[in-house]
Amino acid sequence: MRFGRTSKAIGVAAVAALALSACASAGGGSSATESAGGSQAGGSISVAETNAFSSFNSDSAKGNSDINGKIAYMTRGGFYYIDNELKVVRNEEFGTYEKVSDDPLVVKYTVKDGVKWSDGNPIDAGDLLLNWVVESAFANDAKTNADGKVTSGTNYFDFAGDTSGLNLTKQPEIGDGGRSITLTYSKPYADWETAFGGLNDGGIGLPAHVVAKKAGLADEQALVDLIQGLKKGDPEKPAKENAQLKKVADVWNTAFDTKSLPSDSSLYLSSGPFIVDSITPDQSVTLVRNDSYTWGPEPKASEITVRFIGAAPDQVQALKNGEVDIIAPQPSADTVELLKAIDGVTVDVQDQLAYDHIDLNYSGVFADPAVREAFMKVVPRQAIVDRIVKPLKQDASPLDSQFFVPAQEAYKPSAADNGSSAYADVDIEGAKKLLDGKTPEVRIMYNKDNPNRADAYSLIQESAAKAGFKIVDAGLGASDWSAALGGGTYDATIFGWTNPGVGVSGVPQIFKTNAGSNFNGFSNKEADKLMNELIVTTDKAKQDQLVTQIDKLVWASYYGVPLFQSVGLDAYNSDRIEGVKYQPNQTGVFWNFWEWGVKG
Amino acid sequence: MVTYIVRRLFTAVLILLGASFVVYQLTALSGDPLHDLRESNSPNKEQLIQQRIELLNLDVPAPVRYFQWLGGAARCIIPAQCDLGYAINGQPVTEALGRAMGMTILLVSAAAILAIVIGVSLGIATALRQYSTLDYGVTFMAFLFFSLPVFWVAVLLKEFAAIGFNNFLRDPEIPLQAVLLIALVSAVVWFVCASGTLLRRLAAAGIGFVLAAVVLWVLSATDWFAAPGLGLVLIALTGVAIAFGTTLLTAGLKNRKALYAALISAGVGIVLYFPIQPLLAQATGLMIFLLAVATILVGLAAGYLLGGYDRRQSMNAAALTAFLTGALILLDRFMQAWPAYVDNSRIKGRPIATIGSETPNLRGDFWIQGIDTFTHLLLPTVALLLISLASYSRYSRSSMLEIMNMDYIRTARAKGLSERTVVMRHAFRNALIPIATIVAFDIGGLIGGAVITENVFAFAGMGQLFIQSLQRVDPNPVMGVFLVTGIVALVFNLIADLVYSALDPRVRVKA
Amino acid sequence: MTTAAKTDKALAKLQKEPKPPKPGKSGTAAGEKAGLSQGQIVRKRFLGNTGAVISLVLLALILLLAYSAGGFFGIPGWWKYTHNQVNDLVNGGAPTLQLFPFSLGEHPFGQDRLGRDTFAQTMRGVQISVAVMFIIGLVGGFVGVVIGAAAGYFRGFVESVLMRLTDVVIIIPLIILAAVLGQLAGSRVPAGVQPYVLGLLVGVAVWTGLARLVRAEFLSLREREFVDAARIAGASSTRIIFKHILPNAVGVIIVSVTLSMSSAILLETSLSYIGMGVKAPDVSLGLLISQNQEAFSTRPWLFWWPGMFIVAICLCVNFIGDGLRDAFDPRQKKFNSKRAKDAPVQSPVPTPSGPGQLTDA
Repeated sequence: MRFGRTSKAIGVAAVAALALSACASAGGGSSATESAGGSQAGGSISVAETNAFSSFNSDSAKGNSDINGKIAYMTRGGFYYIDNELKVVRNEEFGTYEKVSDDPLVVKYTVKDGVKWSDGNPIDAGDLLLNWVVESAFANDAKTNADGKVTSGTNYFDFAGDTSGLNLTKQPEIGDGGRSITLTYSKPYADWETAFGGLNDGGIGLPAHVVAKKAGLADEQALVDLIQGLKKGDPEKPAKENAQLKKVADVWNTAFDTKSLPSDSSLYLSSGPFIVDSITPDQSVTLVRNDSYTWGPEPKASEITVRFIGAAPDQVQALKNGEVDIIAPQPSADTVELLKAIDGVTVDVQDQLAYDHIDLNYSGVFADPAVREAFMKVVPRQAIVDRIVKPLKQDASPLDSQFFVPAQEAYKPSAADNGSSAYADVDIEGAKKLLDGKTPEVRIMYNKDNPNRADAYSLIQESAAKAGFKIVDAGLGASDWSAALGGGTYDATIFGWTNPGVGVSGVPQIFKTNAGSNFNGFSNKEADKLMNELIVTTDKAKQDQLVTQIDKLVWASYYGVPLFQSVGLDAYNSDRIEGVKYQPNQTGVFWNFWEWGVKG
Repeated sequence: MVTYIVRRLFTAVLILLGASFVVYQLTALSGDPLHDLRESNSPNKEQLIQQRIELLNLDVPAPVRYFQWLGGAARCIIPAQCDLGYAINGQPVTEALGRAMGMTILLVSAAAILAIVIGVSLGIATALRQYSTLDYGVTFMAFLFFSLPVFWVAVLLKEFAAIGFNNFLRDPEIPLQAVLLIALVSAVVWFVCASGTLLRRLAAAGIGFVLAAVVLWVLSATDWFAAPGLGLVLIALTGVAIAFGTTLLTAGLKNRKALYAALISAGVGIVLYFPIQPLLAQATGLMIFLLAVATILVGLAAGYLLGGYDRRQSMNAAALTAFLTGALILLDRFMQAWPAYVDNSRIKGRPIATIGSETPNLRGDFWIQGIDTFTHLLLPTVALLLISLASYSRYSRSSMLEIMNMDYIRTARAKGLSERTVVMRHAFRNALIPIATIVAFDIGGLIGGAVITENVFAFAGMGQLFIQSLQRVDPNPVMGVFLVTGIVALVFNLIADLVYSALDPRVRVKA
Repeated sequence: MTTAAKTDKALAKLQKEPKPPKPGKSGTAAGEKAGLSQGQIVRKRFLGNTGAVISLVLLALILLLAYSAGGFFGIPGWWKYTHNQVNDLVNGGAPTLQLFPFSLGEHPFGQDRLGRDTFAQTMRGVQISVAVMFIIGLVGGFVGVVIGAAAGYFRGFVESVLMRLTDVVIIIPLIILAAVLGQLAGSRVPAGVQPYVLGLLVGVAVWTGLARLVRAEFLSLREREFVDAARIAGASSTRIIFKHILPNAVGVIIVSVTLSMSSAILLETSLSYIGMGVKAPDVSLGLLISQNQEAFSTRPWLFWWPGMFIVAICLCVNFIGDGLRDAFDPRQKKFNSKRAKDAPVQSPVPTPSGPGQLTDA
């Protein structure tokens, strides 16, 4: 009893006191704490990203993640970038490149005078040459066995990009007082225009003078001499390991990996509009303006902070709470709806350069073309789009080409001509006729942890069962399903491809006989021939024409059907900032970061 | 004793070896580390796959890889030589671990301490009033919080406690309905907490209603939320109340020397309020720590000087009072810095954060940084607190119940001790013994990180490191985290046993 | 190792104290008159606990609803839709349940984006989640009892081997076991069985706590006179373990298993959240709410219905466990607070009754 009464008495006293002193302190009397911080004119913009920053070298095997690429995009100079209409935009203020001749294909890259790293060292042929030797795998002469173990020779640089294009080039010539290199291809290369020095691929990556110094070379010139003295590697006749180059490669491979801001500022030199100012590991990276930068579009914002937030709902709430200004989370109908309900937020939902498709194996139950055709007839493409994509994007429609997306000019003519119209609507009767009373058992493999795929499976299963197919669920979890690709554990598989948007070198990777990503065993002599022609064709119109022909061949052989183009999403606080535009490739909203500005 | 500890540690090493082998094999089995590359259609897929095989030594069978890893890990006995391998993104595991551990400790320590203090107090209170409305109410709420999925709680907290509260701060005026609603809730709480006849409890409810309504109205009318503060008057009144409260609990109000000692130490704090402000303006963490030590010393001295028949009781009461009064002054100082924090251009008037552990690039003095940490830790701490309240309150309730039915409690009552002495001196202390071992176990478990909470609040701690690495089938960081949690668990296991034997004279360690 | 054993014993006491084989102490609850068996006493005490009884009834009702609506073992339920049947969207997918006037409508709990019926999914989720919960509880309980009993009864070499094994398993993170299971279940276990396999494997992983408690119980019970008596009478070890000791330890086991079940249902939810739990096309409550957490405020019915069932089941199980603890444990009896409060007043030493007395003293 006493306990209760005492505590109540204290409570009464406390509350009375609270009321009194509230009046007292509200009147002031307390000295305000000074606070610094804030940002310079131009304002600060905060962007949410899913993955955490881990390396200043976004081109290396270890540093190759989307976020490292985005930081590099803002802190590097480059010869061109890809805009939101997937056009190559050259940055002539940084440097120029031109096709000198068609046969042999010769391309000359020149850096403008006055373009320099943030430590004052000019960007010149040495930097271009280092980039070239990395991206061309020129010196590599390693052979690997099936386990991926190197059996002979040496791999120097762990470059994460495609080396097949630049590998065709000979040792470059340096010119223009050490500011240009000229690449000569041994045969025409279709994607020459986007082969070298693009901002989307990390621009002109690492500073040669820093790499040279870290590798124990005297100066940049020593590195240039080293590279120029290299012979093209030949896996059949491996040379002795070049110890100096190996050292350079080791520096390039690992020295720039860091999660925190290194004390050695040469590890994060900038040649772009921004330079990294501070990093909180696994939480944020802050970039400020690179004062020496004059070559290219001038950014409006004075500071960009990238914050790492994993899940979409958390990004949405952070945007709502004003902690970030721009987000680009995984889209879902609910996320879009949530975002649209927030005042002062502009939401962009647009197509992405990826698409989901169902592929049929050319073996097992689907060895019979009639069964493949019957199955293609029962895939409810419209229903899948209606239930999965339409809630996000009202005007979505099924994808009608295996190669083009609607944003590309060649899509319409190709889709009209490739025979896809036969599968526009579900045709149960037609499928039954083709099956002729058979009830084939079809095992469908998909990623169970991807809700879109799981839902597409549900809809296909429902529809196919009506035509007499016996559908077996062969779906696997997120970390397992891709290992099953190409194996014999399924007859059809639902998954996605990424369309690079520019360039055609990805086409043979999927559709050529026995190619690395040809999982369903598609093999067509005519298509193979066309693809061989495609990769040495440098003319855009001719490329489109060839791909259109291949598209038709693929549909005619009952390959499977594309389902829908994936949808991308970005949202930003339009009360506060402006200039954010959607972009469908992996650079995302960052593509025009220089146009981002704080209002007012 | 020493032999016992050595033997325990030796077994612990063997256990760790066995478990680490199993964990390594399981991690290697748990998925395909190449899965993201296999589904790719990039032209250089084969090359990327080969690079990763080389990076992670995937051509070596997992059992052999374990011994390679063990070779590096064994060198951790010499701290500078430690080599736990590299993660998929090339980061040394030792570096990643160090950082993640710091974040986890930051995240879980406040929640753990609060959960223990609040949970144990609730448990004791409910045990003393078993099968009362209070007991049922607390039990129900504890189980309810325990039953809520934590990410659900997190989403709710962010929506209402962060976004909602920040919106409210733009115009900190509490609408009448809200005042009435909160007052009603307060009335219910008072009703539940009060004991005695229905009439008494209804009266308590009435007081609760009026109090809450008045306080809220005053706070709203004075724009207190925009510029909070306690002020000298409130600190003085609360300090005196604290002096009475601590004396009541530690010594009993009958012990006047203890009461005077407590009142004096509260008085010293109040007198020093103004003189100390300039000093606090240049505060650092170390200074605050030293001040806290000094405060406690002042309290102890006051208790010692006034003495009385039981000097220790007076010293306890005075030291506790001094510490709490000091904490009040500190709180007041933080409140003074609040408006400056909220107006900071990086905060943009929205102080309560939903993600991360700090505002990037926020520059400011000790107080601003302190508030920043507080606003970031608030929500995850509350989320963790709610789910861990249940176990502590239930354990301490049953522990207390068991003690209260013991013969020696009956004896204590029979010889005429006051209920306070019986509860605080005889029952409470003994009820804490088993709780101490549970706390030790729990802390061992907490270092492993709160996977989901870390995820939802974008806290890059141990749990997140563990789960992300596991999803990438990247064994090295997984092993690193396991090593830390395993060692901590084993060590705290040992500590639990030792603490138990130290607290309970019936138990002795046998070498 | 005696200290470790003592610690475990202390924990066991907190879980619950077994009823000794002799009649209850005099002066305890009214039901404990001589002549009532232990089971009867426990039942009586449990039925006297309102919260526990209400929870038991509520849990039974939930299970009845879930199993009768969704059907089980191939027996069709009374509800017109199955959990994976794709239907046309009615009412934009929003729930058609109406309270005034009461009507279920077409889809009382609403539909997901494909048009699957949320009620059918939730009921299926309850079935799977509860099944997983029981499997985890029973498997964990069984393994824990066997290992704990063997270690506690046989002592010596058997004990040290089993207890070191327990120590090894106790520090292996559960999530790793679950992730491996995801791999196994994904590739080798047919869909539909996966949740049960998940329960089985997680159950095999969570026995450690119970094993330590049971061992501690056995350590003290095996020294009791009635065990000696049985041994002298020539009873086999098996008989002593199962007939004499185990019935006396059953309280701690039941309570511990019950409480581990409520953790199991939350564990399944957490595993689903990080993508390592039950996988589609199977549904569980945890999977449903983690899949639909983005729908939290846009299509709340997808989230709240399964969420409410999780909370309800978990609360019920906890209250039942709590009731069982009180029922099994004579020490948890209500101590007479009235008498306790009167005691100081009757004592010869006057005690202050409030701040007012302060000045008088």
